[in-house]
Amino acid sequence: MAAQALASAAHAEGGYATAFPFFGAERRGAPVLAFTRIDDKRIYRKTQVYEPDFVVVLDEGLLETVNVVEGLKDGGAVVVNSVRSPEEIDVGIDAKLATVDATSVALEVLKRPATNSSILGALSKATGIVSIESIEKGIMQVFGDRLGEKVGERNAKAARIAYDRTVVGESHGSRVLKASNKWLPDVRELPMGVAGISLDTDAGAVGPGSFLENKTGSWKVFHPEYDGEKCTMCNFCWFYCPEGCIYRKEDRMEFDMDYCKGCGICANECPAEAIKMVR
Amino acid sequence: MVSKICTGNYAAAYGSMRSRARTVAAYPITPQTFIVEHISEFINNGEMDCEYIEVESEHTAMSACVSASASGVRTFTATSSQGLALMHEILPIASGMRLPVVMAVVNRSIASPINIWVEHNDIMPERDSGWIQVFCDNNQEVQDMILQAYRIAEGKRVALPVAVCLDAFILSHTVEPVDLIEQDAADKYVPEFSPTGAILDPDDVAAVGVFTPPDYMMECRWQTDKAMRNAVEAIGEANEVFAKQFGRDHGGMIDPYMVDDAEAVLVTMGTASSTAHEVVDEMRAKGKKVGLVKLRFWRPYPSELLRAIAEKVKAVGVFDRAVSYGIGGPSYIEFRNAVFGLDLPVMNFIGGLGGRDVSLQDVRFMYEKLLEAARTGVVKRDITWMGTRGVEQ
Amino acid sequence: MKLKELPDEELFTRGHTACAGCGAAVAVRNLMKVLGKRTMVVNPACCLLIFGATYPYLAWKVPFHHVAFENTAACATGMSRAMKVRGKEDTVVMGIAGDGGTADIGIQALSGAAERNEDMLYVMYDNEAYMNTGIQRSGSTPFGAWTTTTPVGKVKAGKADFKKDMPLIMMAHNVPYVATASIGNIQDFINKFEKARNMKGFRYIQVFTPCPTGWRHDTAKTIEVAKLAVDTGMWTLYECENGKVKINRKPKMTPVSEYLKVQGRFRHMKEEDVRKLQDWVTSKWEADERYAQCRQ
Ligand SMILES: Cc1ncc(C[n+]2csc(CCOP(=O)(O)OP(=O)(O)O)c2C)c(N)n1
Ligand code: SF4
Ligand code: SF4
Ligand code: SF4
Ligand SMILES: [Mg+2]
Repeated sequence: MAAQALASAAHAEGGYATAFPFFGAERRGAPVLAFTRIDDKRIYRKTQVYEPDFVVVLDEGLLETVNVVEGLKDGGAVVVNSVRSPEEIDVGIDAKLATVDATSVALEVLKRPATNSSILGALSKATGIVSIESIEKGIMQVFGDRLGEKVGERNAKAARIAYDRTVVGESHGSRVLKASNKWLPDVRELPMGVAGISLDTDAGAVGPGSFLENKTGSWKVFHPEYDGEKCTMCNFCWFYCPEGCIYRKEDRMEFDMDYCKGCGICANECPAEAIKMVR
Repeated sequence: MVSKICTGNYAAAYGSMRSRARTVAAYPITPQTFIVEHISEFINNGEMDCEYIEVESEHTAMSACVSASASGVRTFTATSSQGLALMHEILPIASGMRLPVVMAVVNRSIASPINIWVEHNDIMPERDSGWIQVFCDNNQEVQDMILQAYRIAEGKRVALPVAVCLDAFILSHTVEPVDLIEQDAADKYVPEFSPTGAILDPDDVAAVGVFTPPDYMMECRWQTDKAMRNAVEAIGEANEVFAKQFGRDHGGMIDPYMVDDAEAVLVTMGTASSTAHEVVDEMRAKGKKVGLVKLRFWRPYPSELLRAIAEKVKAVGVFDRAVSYGIGGPSYIEFRNAVFGLDLPVMNFIGGLGGRDVSLQDVRFMYEKLLEAARTGVVKRDITWMGTRGVEQ
Repeated sequence: MKLKELPDEELFTRGHTACAGCGAAVAVRNLMKVLGKRTMVVNPACCLLIFGATYPYLAWKVPFHHVAFENTAACATGMSRAMKVRGKEDTVVMGIAGDGGTADIGIQALSGAAERNEDMLYVMYDNEAYMNTGIQRSGSTPFGAWTTTTPVGKVKAGKADFKKDMPLIMMAHNVPYVATASIGNIQDFINKFEKARNMKGFRYIQVFTPCPTGWRHDTAKTIEVAKLAVDTGMWTLYECENGKVKINRKPKMTPVSEYLKVQGRFRHMKEEDVRKLQDWVTSKWEADERYAQCRQ
């Protein structure tokens, strides 16, 4: 929705813009990719963006696993949702970089960690590609249309606050990310009929049970804090956790933060109040 | 070998029994009904060892076949017309999963208007479904092709489903002598079922039919296309081995008749081929150089074989028992593609729709038109709607 | 089996991509623990397909099969018969589908398989809308609920029709086992899946699985919402074993408004509509109770 709101903002300024998600099938909360193209004339290309001018990162955790500046044009800029200052962030290259704690803004204004509207404020501040007024209009149009005027207004407000809080600076990077490693079999290697069979590939395991390779822990904003003293080992949290990332040990429960999505069910259901959700 | 007077439906049912299909899921529809009934009888008489699933629709029939096949057993089904249309969604799933399901399709007109008689318009929408499709022109061939179908379908080289097509009523309900294959002979020809790809098995965990992102699709589609191309070889072999064992050679991809020195050739599918065969004899007796290509396999399409024939003749006519509205007969369109670039008069005859009889006179008419085109090198009318009142012939 | 006796091994592994707080994921992980390793799964198009099986990754550690959307029971039929042919009848063939894939588009194949008493366990995880395609109404969506096809507009708001009573329809098929379950009632949930696992013939279990994304509730409240549904009578827990119906839990008859207010999808509802829904709940419970009495 943010990509669309940005396109809408650019359009409001008389420009031409297109926006589209990478048509994935992840559920809510999973990392997603979306693109916006802005120009003053009609845009014909219907392809993904490979050489962006600006990159917006909603989840700082992704910097650990994804080379977000891949293809970034010279003189481009990066906007990151982070409590840290631009100088403290390493994206692997020297770049203009802006940060804002969009999660806090979203929690304050929307009461939910939905950062996609706030981050647009930061983008406006960092790049000037569209004015904050147009961003507000774009958000009103896209969020407002879909979720109601009030929700639209709140999201526009979040963008404005984020705009004000955005810090623009330079970052000097040295991080080297290993090239993304994906199993890409050729026509001889791909199992017939795309059968899901157990294989140990260079990119890790595939096939039955291989979702273990997918560390969903990066999705969370809050995480459970467990107090073993209070725990009665009732096993409720173990049953109720949608991820199966709470393990039963001899005399305590163990929470696997590599997979916890931070839903808060365990804390909500624990009869002994042994779990608290914290940021 | 027993020779018996039987219908095409019986021949199909019998063929599935002798091929040892172990799961059959089918739903009755005129004119396929007797296939279902015969199989039920075979099973209830203890002659056929098979799970018969009395499904509530063709959609379920094909779904159950797909899953049974994916779970490692040999399957068979049969349908026609509206029933085939109802299966439509599941057909490319069978081929995409590379499952060697075999199905008899009794070709019948597709609504609307509703009509139960022969026409090929029911299977034409399945052209791109990834099913191997073969058209028969007699009941012997129906039985034989069911057996051959399993040999073609199964194994790593192909691993694709096969539809054995027979014309409604003209074959399905017409009796003619058929040499019925006995079980040991059939067992010798159709090897015991052994699945090739990954199957669903509690003792060897795998998944069949996973949601697949763009990263894997081109490779997957390429493999299926390759398998369909490989089928050409498998079809030839299946025919050869069959001919050796049973002494009947149905001709593989195509079955040409009197084409070597022919000036005008007609390309036909299904039972029109049989009728045309007789007309060729009759016209040859009068010294007219006509020939016939019985197009047996519609997928994979025998482009090269047809082109080689086309290069030697002066005019070709394609007879279609189907129409693709606004362009012409599907077989004609395909043929034009196969002979692209050749300086050759090609004519399309659309006829026999909805059970309209295709008579000897009709075939003579087509050959006369073709001979004229062969003589003059000129095609007066690309597409002729045979015997259609108010339409110029 | 008691909760503490459930095995540690996850046959539906973590790393799956369901939304945080997904009720369906809670159901699937746990029912797989009860059913065990010799289970084979047929799963149609729905959220679960995507979050449990996106090539080349799978959360499933048992044979998994997807064919299309409306044919879960048909495919499970084919699989189950194949297991019979191959002499592997000790497997539990489970079709597991959403409410849309079951109550709407899949009902024909389902009814056919039930009537033939095919040997399978059919599980409907009920999240009361088409979630996979973005929260459209289904036959299982309750009265009043917002969905993207029953949007809150100026002249109309929410679903105008009441929830289809699928378990009742399934009981009318006179199959060996029909049960309703909820992820909020642990022991009852375990009992029912254990019972179904040990039976032959057609078994149907409909599990109530709240969906924070589609129901617009806090991700932490998934279980709370499930429990409220049972307490208010929006969802009754009963089972029908070989024709005999037993209510497993009498609802407290907490006012439905308690249930509605924790979910964004009901936020727009006017008082009179809430009353209408309350009346429906009351009469549904009365009918369920009477039905149970005459099929004791
Ligand atoms: C024949 C057909 N029509 C429509 C669709 C699109 N479709 C896929 S999943 C889905 C909704 C699934 O809803 P439900 O069964 O309730 O499962 P949920 O996603 O809610 O868990 C729809 C409409 C399809 N895949 N096939
Ligand atoms: S918050 Fe608790 S219940 Fe939710 S995923 Fe994390 S551990 Fe599991
Ligand atoms: S729910 Fe609470 S008391 Fe029960 S096992 Fe989990 S942490 Fe311990
Ligand atoms: S939309 Fe609902 S059912 Fe689907 S994955 Fe998300 S929470 Fe689960
Ligand atoms: Mg649903």
